[in-house]
Amino acid sequence: MKSHKLLSLVAVIVIFAPVRVIAADVKVIANGSVKADMISASEVKSVFLEESNSLGDGTHVEPVLEKDGPVHEAFLHEYLAGTDNDLQSYYRALVFSGRGSMPKQLGSDAEMVAYVARTKGAIGYVSAETTVEDVKTLTIVPEGNGAQRRLITRVEPDYPDTLKRLNIGGTVRLRLTIGPRGNVETVEVLGGNPILGESAVAAVKQWVYTASRSRTAAELSVPFDSHH
Amino acid sequence: MHKRILSLVFALLSFQAAQFALMAQEFKLLDRTVQVHGFVSQGFVYTDDNNWLTMNTSQGSAAFTDFGLNMSSQVTDKFRIGAQGYDRNLGQLGQYHPSLDWAVADYRFESWFGVRGGKVKTTLGLYNDTQDEDFLRTFALLPQSVYPTDLRDATIAHLGADIYGKLSLRHGLGVLSYTAYTGHRSDSIYSGYPYYLSSFGGQIKSYGGLQYGGDLRWSTPLKGFLIGASRLNEHITGKGLAINPFAPGAGLVPYSESSKADWTNQFYGEYVVGRFRIDSEYRRYWRNQELFSGTSESFADIRGWYVSGAYRICKRLQIGSYYSHYTISNIVAGALSAFYPPATDTTLPANHDYDKVVTGRVDLNKFWNVKVEGHFMDGYGSGPYPNGFYSQVNPRGFAPNSNALVLKTSLNF
Repeated sequence: MKSHKLLSLVAVIVIFAPVRVIAADVKVIANGSVKADMISASEVKSVFLEESNSLGDGTHVEPVLEKDGPVHEAFLHEYLAGTDNDLQSYYRALVFSGRGSMPKQLGSDAEMVAYVARTKGAIGYVSAETTVEDVKTLTIVPEGNGAQRRLITRVEPDYPDTLKRLNIGGTVRLRLTIGPRGNVETVEVLGGNPILGESAVAAVKQWVYTASRSRTAAELSVPFDSHH
Repeated sequence: MHKRILSLVFALLSFQAAQFALMAQEFKLLDRTVQVHGFVSQGFVYTDDNNWLTMNTSQGSAAFTDFGLNMSSQVTDKFRIGAQGYDRNLGQLGQYHPSLDWAVADYRFESWFGVRGGKVKTTLGLYNDTQDEDFLRTFALLPQSVYPTDLRDATIAHLGADIYGKLSLRHGLGVLSYTAYTGHRSDSIYSGYPYYLSSFGGQIKSYGGLQYGGDLRWSTPLKGFLIGASRLNEHITGKGLAINPFAPGAGLVPYSESSKADWTNQFYGEYVVGRFRIDSEYRRYWRNQELFSGTSESFADIRGWYVSGAYRICKRLQIGSYYSHYTISNIVAGALSAFYPPATDTTLPANHDYDKVVTGRVDLNKFWNVKVEGHFMDGYGSGPYPNGFYSQVNPRGFAPNSNALVLKTSLNF
């Protein structure tokens, strides 16, 4: 009996601990008008620095930020590599020299989801745990190499029913190598729930990218949203 | 005294306006969102000796006010328009004569190619196009060797067109940004150079001409490290009236001057790591100007560079320091050479200005900051091209060194 309780405790820790680790993670969301399902980290940076207002497929996008808070800080750290002060100065330099506009800044995840859902081309971010409806969650390919190789065949990962029922979700971060012919050769889990990680690895191994002269490396994030 | 009271009243009114504006930064017009942004700053400068920047700073001067207001709108996915009005009073300069700072129609075809036209801020080095917005930086005054605030009109904007874009380099080699431009520069008659000429009895009616140039900057693979280079060519003409130095009693006669060669090269680097920022720039300005309707010619070689460092201690507090190095070497040929002996010895205080600066900045909130800055200047560089020190406000001549205390507060929304 005692060992049964101990096992249950271990199981709870195994299941929930990774969720806590990724609680500060953010996911990038977009209005339904955005065609792309994947976006590279450098594209995210380019869009939020107003260097580009469209994605590779030509979709117009408009960045939306949160005003402050841990999700905003995590996003800045992950994608823009600067502080909020740096970013605000950057936007003001654009605004006062006639080179850009001040992006919309919202007060919470809920406001962000609502705004992105109703605004054509809007692209924003929320906590990985936030329920998102009527918006799409973009898969992030953080490194440039993989992002330059277009995904031809995508297999969606299985979302284990038990975890989905328990609302256990989040983002799994993977590192992969893509062979010259476009097949995924290796996949390594960098972070996230280990069970979801297994599922993501199984799916990504079946993905096929465009061919290239050489083998390339890529990192990407696969979101698991229990509310979808 | 009257001006100081006016400045104070203006600053208070601006503060009230800014507080109001903070609540309403955008509105809808023809189903398009129009953003409204503005800023106002008020400074106070005290020097222990020479009067600086055309103010009577040796007695303490608050004649150091500027403000701007802009509106802009993203009309379509690729097309954006906007304009900004700007006004300032800096000692004898500006004198609250408002100007159109920029007014731009911008069409970005792709991230690698865009076109903007109208009155466009000139891209030159790290800070030329944002030199008026001190709230973007730690320092109250940018290094005057490279960004002389009294001469802002000389480089600030052109009426013309730019092409611009960013190119991501393969193999993770960073990003290249380019700008190329051409247009017409037009200086206010209340700017530094016309004021400088007034010390010789000159009354400039117009000053400006063609500008063209470009800028190329590379965001290197080393995160936060950027380097770049700018080039600016000009063909400038000034017209007005002046006292004939050979017949001073004859009254005012027509005066003109024009460029034979006028170019600026600027090289710069910036490194931002965590809370620390280090900048360095070098500018060389070569100015070969025909003077007095072609009877004389001046050859001025003006070189400036600085190294600055700034550190954000916490969200509300920054400190910074820079060293700014300015030299001018000038030769006048022709009839006027009798009045202007060669000034090529840059070790003389008249031909250099070495400025050591320390600054503290406090952000009272996101929109309002206060700065305290100390300048320790060796030399006054008041040669045949101005650099902050003017004989009109220093009628007894110049002391070789000056120390300055600069207090400045800025609001923006």
